[in-house]
Amino acid sequence: MLEVLKSGLETAVQDYPGRIGYWNQGFPPSGPMDSWSFRLANVLVGNAPGAAGIECQYIGPTLKFGRDAVIAITGADMLPKLDGTPVPLWESVAVKAGQVLALGAARTGTRTYLAIAGGIATEPWLGSRATFHQAGVGGMEGSALKAGHVVPVATGGGVAGRRVKNDARPPIRTDKRWDVEVCAGPNDDWIDDTGQQRFLTADWKLSAKSNRTGFRLDGPQWTFAEKATDKPPEHGSLPSNIIDQGYPLGAINLAGQTPIILVNDGPSMGGFINPYTVPSAAFWKLGQSKPGEIYNFRQITVYAAQALAREMKAICSEASII
Amino acid sequence: MIYQEPRYLPGGDRYMLVEFGNEMNLELNFMAQGLAGAIAEQRVRGVIETAPCFASMLIHYEPEDISYADLQREMIQLVASLGPSDDIELPSRLFYFPTAYLDPWTKAAIDDYTVKINPEKEFDPAFVARLNGLSGPEQLVRVHSGTEYWVAALGFWPGLPFMMALDPRCVITAPKYNPPRTWTPQGTVGMGGASTAIYPVATPGGYQIFARIPVPIWDPKRRFPIYGDSICLFRPGDRVKFVPVSVAEFEDVERRVADGSYEYNVVGYQKFSVAQYKSWVAGLDRGKRF
Repeated sequence: MLEVLKSGLETAVQDYPGRIGYWNQGFPPSGPMDSWSFRLANVLVGNAPGAAGIECQYIGPTLKFGRDAVIAITGADMLPKLDGTPVPLWESVAVKAGQVLALGAARTGTRTYLAIAGGIATEPWLGSRATFHQAGVGGMEGSALKAGHVVPVATGGGVAGRRVKNDARPPIRTDKRWDVEVCAGPNDDWIDDTGQQRFLTADWKLSAKSNRTGFRLDGPQWTFAEKATDKPPEHGSLPSNIIDQGYPLGAINLAGQTPIILVNDGPSMGGFINPYTVPSAAFWKLGQSKPGEIYNFRQITVYAAQALAREMKAICSEASII
Repeated sequence: MIYQEPRYLPGGDRYMLVEFGNEMNLELNFMAQGLAGAIAEQRVRGVIETAPCFASMLIHYEPEDISYADLQREMIQLVASLGPSDDIELPSRLFYFPTAYLDPWTKAAIDDYTVKINPEKEFDPAFVARLNGLSGPEQLVRVHSGTEYWVAALGFWPGLPFMMALDPRCVITAPKYNPPRTWTPQGTVGMGGASTAIYPVATPGGYQIFARIPVPIWDPKRRFPIYGDSICLFRPGDRVKFVPVSVAEFEDVERRVADGSYEYNVVGYQKFSVAQYKSWVAGLDRGKRF
C-alpha cells in the first residue's frame, strides 16, 4: 500500500488503455495522457504495460510506502527524492517500507508516471481503474488522490537497476515547441483550402483553459467551405455547427472559432465539427506540454499514424530495457 | 437528405465515422442504431465499440486487427443488409419530467457567461424564440414542452441523452454557443441545432439553455431501482415529455429526490411503430405552431 502524505496537483490512478467500451453511454477512456512514459514505467518494474499506476500533473505528490517494493518513475522530471536522496528517472528502484517519495514541480515536461511492481489495486469500475474525477468514477473513490488516502497495491516482484535505453525515451521538448501529427478528418471538407493551409502552418498556443477533457488552442481565425454555411437548420447556424455526432478521441473539435483537442477525459459526442484528429501516437506530446507552449501540426495519413502507434507499442516493451 | 450511399470518414488512426445523411429524422437515427446493432450481432472483427447518433455512427476499431479499407468494405456489406425502418416496431418507455422553464439557475449560468466570456450573448430563451419566429420565451416554453422527444443516442457526458422532437410542429433550431460555456447546472435542459439534451451533471456545454429538471438521469450510487443494471437512466428508443412546473414544485421534487422517496414517472406499456408515426406525421401541417 501507498499512503498519500501530500496530493500534488490532481495526482490520480490511471491504467492503459483505460475504460474502453462505454463511449456510446458517454464514458471516456481516461488513462494516462502520455502512455509512452506510462507503459515503460510498468515494463521497468515487470508489470503488464497497461497495469494501474499513478499519473502526476505539474506538481507531484509525497507518498509513503507501506512495504518494500520496486518502483519506476518516468515522464516529466519532478526531481523525485526518496527520503531526501534524488531518485533516477527511467530506472527501476528498490524502496523500503516506511520510506517517503517526494516529487516536486515538473522541470521538463508536465506529467510524471509512477509504477509499482504488482500494480495499483483499487477497485475497478466498468472494467478499469482509470480515474475520471470530473464524473466521480474510477481511481480512489472516484477522485484524484487526497492526503490521507491509502492506495492499495498488489503484491509484485520486480528487479531494481533496470533502465530504459536512451533512444527509447520520449524526446520531451524543452524549447516550448511541439510538432504534433494530425490526420485529416472526419470533417476536414467543412474547412476551405485556405483554412486548411492556415491550420497546418500557424502557431497554435495551448491555452491555460485546458484540462484532461480538452486542450483549448489560441490561434488564427478559421475559414470555411460552402457546406459549412449552406446546410439544413438542424445543424445549427454557425459554420462550425453540425448535427450531433460521435467524436473520435483526439479530435480537433472546432467550437465556434475555438479549436479544442478532445483528450483522455473528453466528450464522446457533440454538435461541432472535427476537421482533424490527433492520432494516438502523438498524445504523449499533448501530455508533456504546458499552457503557453506552441503546437505546429503536421498532417500524416491514417496508415502512417497506425504505423507510428505500432512502433510505439514495440518501444513500450522489454526490448527497450537494459 | 439521406445519402444514396453512406460516407465513410476517417478520424485519426483508430476511428471511422459513417455518415448516413445531412438532416435530422427518425429514419437516419434508425440507420445509425441499426448498423450499430448489426455490428454487435455479427461481432465484426477489430471493432472495439460504436457510438451511433442522429445521422451518423462512429466506430472505434483496432487497426492491428482490421485495416481501414477492410473495415469500410465490411460496413458497406452490413449497411446493404439493413431492413427498411417501416417494419420497425419497438417497446419505448415514456418519461415525464417536472421541468422548471425560464428558471433562475440557467439564468445565473447565462449571466455568468455574459459577464465573463461573451458580453454580446443574447439571453438564450429570447434568442431562441426570436430565431424561430416565436412571440417570446412564453411561446418557446409552450412549443418546447408540446412534444415528446425521442432519445436518439447517449453521449457527450455519461448518461446525457441526445433527443429530437417527434412532433414536427415543435421542431425549433438554434446555433451552439461560440465559444462554449465553461459550466452548466446539473439537470439543465438545452438545445442546439435541432437537438434537445439534459445535462446529467454540471459540465461545460454548447447548447442554448432555458429550463432545468430536478430528477437525476444518472445514478452512480445506485439509489433508484428504475436504473436496473445501468447507471444511466436512458436507452436509445426511450421518449421524454417535459411537464412545465413552478420553481416551488421543482424544489419539492428536489427534496424527494434527496431523501430517496421520489418515484420516477415513466410508462412502459407502449410500442413505437415507425410506420404509424410516419403516417401521422404525413398528415400534419408542419408550418403550424402551438
